Amino acid sequence: MNEPTIVSFLCNWCSYEGADKAGGARLNYPANIRIVRVMCSGRVDPEFVIQALKEGASGVLILGCHPGDCHYKKGNYKALRRAHLLKKTLKQLGIEEERVRLDWVAAGEGERFAKVANEMAETMKNLGPLELS
Amino acid sequence: MAERIGVYVCKCGPNIGDKIDVDAIVNEVKGIEDVAVAKSHNLLCSGDGLKFLKEEIKNEKLSRVVIAACTPKQYEVKFMKACEEAGLNPYLMQMTNIREQCAWVTPDKSAATEKAKSFVIASINRVSLQESIEKKKIDIQPNVLVVGGGVAGLEACLSLAQKSRKVYLVEKSPCIGGLTARFEEVYPTMECAPCMIAPELQEVLQKENIETFTYSEIEEVVGSFGNFTVKVKKKARYVSEEACIGCDACLEPCPVEVSNEYDEGLSTRKAIYLPFAGGLPNVPVIDKDNCKRFKGEECSICKENCAFDAINFDDEDKTIEKNVGAIILATGATLFDPKELPQYGYGKYDNVLTAMQLERLNASNGPTGGKIQLKNGKEPKSIAFIYCVGREEKGYCSGICCMYSLTLAHLVKEKLPEVKMHNFYTDLCLPKKEHQKIYKEAMEKGIEFIRSEEDVTVTDGGEKIIVGTNGKKVSVDMVVLAPAVEPNADTEKIAEILDIPRDDQGFFAEEHTLMKPFATALEGVFVVGSCQGPKDIGDAVAQGGAAAGRILSRLIPGEKLELEAKVSEINEDLCSGCNICIILCPYSAISRDAEKKIAVVDETLCRGCGTCVSACPTGAARAKHFTKEQIFAEIKGVVR
Amino acid sequence: MAKPKVAFYWCASCGGCEEAVVDLNEDILKVVEAVDIVFWPVALDFKKKDVEAMGDGEIAASFINGAIRTEEQEEMVKLLRKKSGLIVAFGSCSHLGGIPGLANFWNRETIFTKVYKTVPSMANPSGIVPQQKTNIPEGELTLPEFYDTVKTLDQTIDVDYYLPGCAPPPDLIMNAVTAILESKLPEKGAVLAPEKSLCDTCPRGEKKPEKLSIKEIKRPYEIIPNPEKCFLEEGIICLGPVTRSGCGERCINANMPCRGCFGPTKEVVDQGAKGISAIASILGVEDEEKMTEEDTKKLIDQIVDPAGLFYMYSLPSSLLKRKRMA
Repeated sequence: MNEPTIVSFLCNWCSYEGADKAGGARLNYPANIRIVRVMCSGRVDPEFVIQALKEGASGVLILGCHPGDCHYKKGNYKALRRAHLLKKTLKQLGIEEERVRLDWVAAGEGERFAKVANEMAETMKNLGPLELS
Repeated sequence: MAERIGVYVCKCGPNIGDKIDVDAIVNEVKGIEDVAVAKSHNLLCSGDGLKFLKEEIKNEKLSRVVIAACTPKQYEVKFMKACEEAGLNPYLMQMTNIREQCAWVTPDKSAATEKAKSFVIASINRVSLQESIEKKKIDIQPNVLVVGGGVAGLEACLSLAQKSRKVYLVEKSPCIGGLTARFEEVYPTMECAPCMIAPELQEVLQKENIETFTYSEIEEVVGSFGNFTVKVKKKARYVSEEACIGCDACLEPCPVEVSNEYDEGLSTRKAIYLPFAGGLPNVPVIDKDNCKRFKGEECSICKENCAFDAINFDDEDKTIEKNVGAIILATGATLFDPKELPQYGYGKYDNVLTAMQLERLNASNGPTGGKIQLKNGKEPKSIAFIYCVGREEKGYCSGICCMYSLTLAHLVKEKLPEVKMHNFYTDLCLPKKEHQKIYKEAMEKGIEFIRSEEDVTVTDGGEKIIVGTNGKKVSVDMVVLAPAVEPNADTEKIAEILDIPRDDQGFFAEEHTLMKPFATALEGVFVVGSCQGPKDIGDAVAQGGAAAGRILSRLIPGEKLELEAKVSEINEDLCSGCNICIILCPYSAISRDAEKKIAVVDETLCRGCGTCVSACPTGAARAKHFTKEQIFAEIKGVVR
Repeated sequence: MAKPKVAFYWCASCGGCEEAVVDLNEDILKVVEAVDIVFWPVALDFKKKDVEAMGDGEIAASFINGAIRTEEQEEMVKLLRKKSGLIVAFGSCSHLGGIPGLANFWNRETIFTKVYKTVPSMANPSGIVPQQKTNIPEGELTLPEFYDTVKTLDQTIDVDYYLPGCAPPPDLIMNAVTAILESKLPEKGAVLAPEKSLCDTCPRGEKKPEKLSIKEIKRPYEIIPNPEKCFLEEGIICLGPVTRSGCGERCINANMPCRGCFGPTKEVVDQGAKGISAIASILGVEDEEKMTEEDTKKLIDQIVDPAGLFYMYSLPSSLLKRKRMA
């Protein structure tokens, strides 16, 4: 595998289904988008994100339900706060903010999922692998 | 003992088989430690496939299973069931998506194969750390508490009461029936409201499995879905419900007269009173705040006039405790007070009324026996209705005011055919299939409709009142305001007792506007009727039935309640009582144990989102089936 | 029977851990009575060659404080590992990297440039920086290599136990020494302090609100903290929730928030990441449904130096260990 991977945390109720819809519509996106299913974007611990980068991922994608639509009401609001603070911290640690992306994809948004996945892959390709010493 | 993992990669016919080199994956993972067997199959979800899977589990003595196939959202449940049938705990299986999220989206076969392989290996890593989980089952109380005896509450009571389930109805006022009992005729059928609900009232009061507590309020609720303990305060009525036969002989002699709130202040009542004629139960109540005797003076006139010794001055408030499995809140709403908008002249001019006051004037059990009259007793010759009073201030349309105003206009016109009516509206809200007709008929009856683009003004016209807008002015005898519907004082109080959220307007917040409009974020607590939001009688009744339906299907007498498996659990030895998780739970599933100084998860309420687990600063909280170790193991696999 | 031998050594440190030993006051007499201190550069005149002359494992326990950032420190701790039965990482710096660990936002080149060239008070027109090897008429002078990255002790040698804290409090030190002498030690790798976080023992815990949220961030200089309230309640970030207890809340009692010097509790892999998660989760949580993404980001941005704050003592021990240099 040449291209470093992008670990993508998808929430069971919205973005995971959105990714399924993209599959159903046979939309394409790069094979380095690697999916880990969680019940809610609120489950995504900053420790997961950093661990993924440490294990060799060039980027991490976190996709949750649109604000106001979280299946568990408010998990995505926490995800938003953590992601923003984590990205700020990572930037200070020399890791480009673009390497961690939090976005919202609804269950029916196959096209949107593919768009975000493709964008993320392109951005990571331009940034290059994350070489941690 | 080493694990024996079985890895099964489905070809899904050509869907996966053509796009991914399944055999290459199978061959590679065979060599991974603890993988006892790795095979491919053409169609795992078929009857043959499931049979194959079950035989594999038994014959190969597998302790874990990985299935790489289509999206788990489709068949995970099916495969979990197959595992269970083969004697393997369903949570020791991991299903990974190599169809929708791999084969169907990756055109290059070798790239797709690499990706799928990483998913399979990730699942092998993860499944090794998974634990068997038994869904907990708890004993439940099938009984239900209904708070509020209006139409929504009544419907809920009647739907729920059955042989092995008791319903406790708690009503704050002395009589049940809510607002509806105080209307004369209701739209769209224009039928007599008290007659309409009379059968329900009788049934509720007489049905064996319904226990009604009038003049009572809930004070405290502890516990959770399936097992609530509720403290009800039954206020002292001072009149025995058993002994009283409803002859009303005690009412007339009472020397005290106070404003009657049930007639919207249009009449007076005694200190011993029935809210309105025909109120049920037909047992008066003593208003101890206004009764001479309770204020320290000597008086027992009512008791002296009671031939059945039903009056007991020594009656006391009682606290009654009940165990129930679910609670339905049907506490209704109230009307916005137009005094807050002085431009409408309410409280300033004698003959500016609210629609509810007009309802009471119109009611045969009201202060005038149904006669529409001005303060001076004369019949009005002209009436102006002003719609949307408070709509802008509230920020929402109450959805019933246009209809009740039209209804009142019709009813008044029937009694006073010569009366001139002018309806000042901004937008007309006529939502249902019967409503437009009523508006048309009103127009045909000569009722004038004036659309006001700017504010309606109400000014002194000497003997008359001047109402105007857009340069048009009318001079009328009576002005009727249609105020918005707003939450009543009980909503805030009860929300605090139950710790349930309210929306921006102060109504109880429903769990989901479209899919669960009758539930709250607190499992087992339901909201029906206008306490959840303004609505008409039909909608309130429907909502009452909906909540009852959910309870009927989940709290089955004699059966245990199955809980969510993937809940959060907090390790007592690590939890340091920082309280950070408590505010994060949208279902109020986490509370503080003051004695142990730690947080505790109520498994009946936890829905397994994991938000508290990722926030937990000590790692004391753990998400079953989605632990940190399992996710780390999965990450390690997918980054290949 | 001969008294067990112990050694104390310091690496990249401030000397506070040495003082902590002295802070034992009268108890130090008990220690001295029970053990033979065979190496303690700050206090006793033993030399490196004395240690080299010992047999492997001859020293019962070596207490090493300070982080590892030079070749000399690495060499010394490896020597002590060879000669010691037990190695105890003493204090935050050896345990987690400590304050010296903040140098991991830099590397040798950038540090030298700043310290020896660009700092305003420096007058070094020829741009001289320390060299590992310098030739002078008398011969070659060497300096230990100055590493780019500060490491924890356990990233350099095998560590048996950790005594956390900046500096470890006297009671924890006495407990550890006693446990070693009585051979009543827990499982290897344990941190010799309670398992729970500071909130468990914090005197401000009683009155803490059950529903804890932060409306606005306040830095410790902006307000005078109310000595009875939880710092988080007032918007001051306190790392108590993500920090192991055992320190006796010395900072809290001085009306200052915890800065995490005891490190995380056992299930936590990265103290900084956990601090980020915990604090971010309750920032503006009461109004989360009403706040726009912009509002949310503005609120988060009130934390001006999250990396320095959340990783203040633990950067070298964290998952990323250091800043990634361009």
